[in-house]
Amino acid sequence: MEKKKYRSKKVSERISLVLIYAVLIIISLIWLIPFFMLIILSFRGEQVGMSADYLFPKQWSFDNYVKLFTQTKFLTWYGNTMLVSAVVTVFQTVIVLMTSYALSRLRFRMRKPLMNLMLILGMFPGFLSMTAVYFVLKEINLTQNLFGLILVFTASSAMQYYICKGFFDTIPKSLDEAARIDGASRHTIFVKIILPLAKPIIIYTVLTAFIAPWGEYMFSSFIMLGDPDKFTVAVGMKSWLDNSTLASEYFTVFCAAAVVVSIPITALFIWLQRYYVEGITGGSVKG
Amino acid sequence: MAEVSLKHIYKVYPNGTKAVNDFNMQIEDKEFIVFVGPSGCGKSTTLRMIAGLEDVSAGELKIGDLVVNDVEPKDRDIAMVFQNYALYPHMTVYENIAFGLRLRKLSKEEIHKRVVEAADILGITEYLGKKPKEMSGGQRQRVALGRAIVREPKVMLLDEPLSNLDAKLRTQMRAEISKLHSKLQTTFIYVTHDQVEAMTMGTRIVVMKDGFVQQIDTPKNLYNYPENKFVASFIGTPQMNFFEGTLCKTGEEVIIKFDYANVEIKVPYSMLYKAKPAYLDGKTKVYIGLRAEDISLASEEDNNKKAVIKAVVSHKEELGNETLVYGDINLNGGETESPTKIVLKDNSGKEIKTGDIIGVALNLERIRLFDKETERSVLPRVPEYNYLDCEVKNGKLCFLGAELGLPQAVKCPDGKYQALIPANAVTAGGSIKAKAVSCEDINGVKLLSLTLGGKRLYAVNADYDGGETVNVGLDFKKITLIADGKNIVEPMPENSTLSCKFVKRKAVKTEEINGKSKRVKTVNFGFEINGAFFAVSDAVSQKIFAALGMKKALAASLKLECRAEDFAVSENGIAAEAEEFLNFGGEKFIRCKAGADTVYVKTEKEYSGVVYLMPDFEKAGVVETERDIKII
Repeated sequence: MEKKKYRSKKVSERISLVLIYAVLIIISLIWLIPFFMLIILSFRGEQVGMSADYLFPKQWSFDNYVKLFTQTKFLTWYGNTMLVSAVVTVFQTVIVLMTSYALSRLRFRMRKPLMNLMLILGMFPGFLSMTAVYFVLKEINLTQNLFGLILVFTASSAMQYYICKGFFDTIPKSLDEAARIDGASRHTIFVKIILPLAKPIIIYTVLTAFIAPWGEYMFSSFIMLGDPDKFTVAVGMKSWLDNSTLASEYFTVFCAAAVVVSIPITALFIWLQRYYVEGITGGSVKG
Repeated sequence: MAEVSLKHIYKVYPNGTKAVNDFNMQIEDKEFIVFVGPSGCGKSTTLRMIAGLEDVSAGELKIGDLVVNDVEPKDRDIAMVFQNYALYPHMTVYENIAFGLRLRKLSKEEIHKRVVEAADILGITEYLGKKPKEMSGGQRQRVALGRAIVREPKVMLLDEPLSNLDAKLRTQMRAEISKLHSKLQTTFIYVTHDQVEAMTMGTRIVVMKDGFVQQIDTPKNLYNYPENKFVASFIGTPQMNFFEGTLCKTGEEVIIKFDYANVEIKVPYSMLYKAKPAYLDGKTKVYIGLRAEDISLASEEDNNKKAVIKAVVSHKEELGNETLVYGDINLNGGETESPTKIVLKDNSGKEIKTGDIIGVALNLERIRLFDKETERSVLPRVPEYNYLDCEVKNGKLCFLGAELGLPQAVKCPDGKYQALIPANAVTAGGSIKAKAVSCEDINGVKLLSLTLGGKRLYAVNADYDGGETVNVGLDFKKITLIADGKNIVEPMPENSTLSCKFVKRKAVKTEEINGKSKRVKTVNFGFEINGAFFAVSDAVSQKIFAALGMKKALAASLKLECRAEDFAVSENGIAAEAEEFLNFGGEKFIRCKAGADTVYVKTEKEYSGVVYLMPDFEKAGVVETERDIKII
C-alpha cells in the first residue's frame, strides 16, 4: 500500500499561527503609527513649523505641554468639553436605557413603526438639521452657551436605543414575569433586576455617550461661533490649523493637545472594561 | 388556599388565533391539577392567564371569591415556578428567595425566618450564600420552588418546571413536588407535556389540544375511559392500539370487523350496551382501541375462544420484566404505519421471533370505540341517548312493551318510529315500571341501568334508592322521533337565543336635593333587543366589560342565551308574537317569534297574539357573535 504523506498537525498549526500573527501585526502597525507619531511629535523641542520630514525630535522637551497649559485657552476648552460630555453622558445613558427597556418589554400601538422611524432618523447625519437647530437655539438665547450644546447632544439620545434594546431582548422575559409575580413594579424590575444584569451594555452606552460630544466638531463650531471662551477642544484645536501661519506655530502644541485629549477616554475605558468583559447573565435560566 | 374557577375562558390574539377556547373548570381547594397536552395546545397560556401574565380575552376567572380578570399578578396571591427557573442571576439564593418578601415590606426577622424555613423544606440551606450560576439544574429548580413557597400563596402555578432536568433528577423532583403539595396543603396547578408526570402527580388532569379541553378527569378515569381518540392515544405507553373497522349488530350479537385484515370477532350485545346505536349498522367506520396490556399471547385454552386472532410478529422490545411485541394482524402486512399494527405486552417469557405467526387474545371487556371522523368515543360512560324502536298508536307512544300518552305538544301521525331518548329524559316517578340492574356514580352523575321489556334503558337519576323496580316516565320535550331518516318530532332547544346589542343610555333626571330641584345625569348600560332597551345590573355590565373592554362591548353584536324558565311574560319587555302553545303534560311552554329569533317561554297560561317577554338577565348567557365566544 502506498504511504500517504501527511504534514504533521503541529507544524501546520504553527504555520497558520505565524501567518495570522503576521497579518495582525501589520494591521496594528497601520493603526498605531499615527498615534505613535503624535506622541513623538509632541515632544519635539525645536521650532521647524509644520513639518514631518523626520520623526524623532532633535531636541526632546516638554515645552509644547507647558505652552499648551500656559499660553493657550486649552484648559478652558478642556473644561468646557469635560462638562458637556459628562452631563450628556449621564442624561443620554439614562434616556437610552429607559427607552430600550420600554421598547424591549412593553407592547404598545405603533411600537414597530416608532422603532423604525427612530432607526432611520438616527441614520441621518446630525448636521443636516444644524441650521434649523441654530435658529431654534437663538430664539431661546442658547447660542454661544454650553447648555445649548448639552441640549443638542441629549435631544436625540433615544435614537441610540438599538444595540441596548438588542441586549435587553436577550434577558429572559421570565425574569420580569417572576419579579412581577413577586410583587415588583415596572420601575422596581428595571432598577433591581434589569440594570444589574445589563452592566456591559450600560458601559457601552456610557462610553459611546461620552465619546460623541468629546470629539464632536460640526455642531460645536457652529453653535459656539465667535466665542473662543466657549469652544470645545475639537473646535479650539481646529482653530490652530485655520491658516498656515498659525499652523506652523501650533503644530507641535496640537500634537501635545491631542495626547492630552485622548487621556480621559483611555482612562474611562480601562476603568470600565472589567465590567465590559464579564458576561453576567450566566445562571439565570436553564443550565 | 383557594379554589380557582374558570368560566368560559378564551384567549384570542389580535390576529384572531384562538389559543384557548371556552375553558371551563372548577378547581377545588388543595387539588393538584395538571394541564397536559402537546406543545401549542394552550396549556401554558391558560396558566399564564391564571397568573395574570396574559390578559383574559373573555370569560370569568376567579381565585377564591375574587374575580381577578383585571387584577395585577402581585395582588392575586399566587406564586409561579418557571420552566427556565427565572432566578435573578445577580442575587444570592437567599436574596432570590427573600426578594418577594422584601417587596412586601416584611420585617427582617420574619423574612429570615421564612427563608430559612423554606430552604430547610427544600434542603438548600447550605447554598443560601451562593449565586444561581454556581448551582446545578436541580438545585436551581429547588431555589425557584423556594421562592414560590416562601410567599405562602393561595395557588402555586408550575409551568413545566422539570423539563430542563435530566431523566433521573426529574423522577426525584417529581416525588418531591408531590410531597411538597401534601405538606403545603395548597392548590397546585402544574403544566407539563409529559403524560407520565401528569399521571403520577395530578389528582385531576386536564388534557388539552389545539386550545380545546379534551377531557378533565382523574388519572385513572382518563386511562380507562378516554372521551376521544386523542386522549386515548396521549395517555399511556406504549400507545393504545387503534384498528379501523365496523360494528354490526345482528340479534343479540355484535360482529366486530377489522378493516384491511381478514378478522371478525363476535361479541354479545350486552358488552356494547352503551355504544351509540348509529354505529352498530355495519357501515359506519370506527376506530377500535385496545391497550397493549389488554392483549396477550393466546395460551392453549384461549385458542378456541372467539377473541383470539392471528398476527405476524414484526419486531420486539425487551424491557427486562416484560416484552413489547410488535406485529400486524394483516398476515401479509408490511412495515409501514397502518391500522393493522398491533403491540402487546407479554410477560410469559415465551420465545418469539420476527416473522412468527402468533395467536393473540384480546380482552374485549376493555375495548374502546371511537368515531372515525370526529374521533369522539362511541362508547361513552354516560350514554347520551337510548335508541329504541317505538310505535305511535291512538295518541299513545308504545315502546319496550310500555305505553305512554302523548302530550298535546308532541304531534305526529300514527306509525313506526325510532326514538332517541336522552338518558336524562327518563325521569323518575312515572307510570312505567322498570327493573333496576345497576347504578354507577360517574363523576357525580348517577347512571341507572334499567331493563324494560327485556331491553336496556339508561336513566340519569339522582334519587335512586336502591330498590329493585323503579317507576319512570319520559320528558317529552327532550325526545326525538325519527322515521325514514327524518326527524318527525324534534326536541325543544334548551336555550333560546336573541340577537342583541349592549348599549349605553344617558338619562337626565330631576331630583330634589335639599329642597332644590337638580338635574342629575345618569348613565345606564343595558341590552337593546328588538329596539327595546333593558337596563342591567352593574354585576352583569362589569362582566361584559371585563370580557370585551368598554369600546368593544358597545360595538359588538351579541346573542343572549336564555332558558325557557328564565323568561317571564309581563306588561313590558321584548315584543314577541306567540305562535304556538306547547303542553308537555307537566310543563307548558309557548313558542314565540321575536324579530328573527324563535323563543321558547315556560308559562302556565295560554297566550296568543303579541306578548311581552322579560328575560332574567342575571341568569342569561351572553355570546359574542363575531368570534363565537361565550362571555357570560
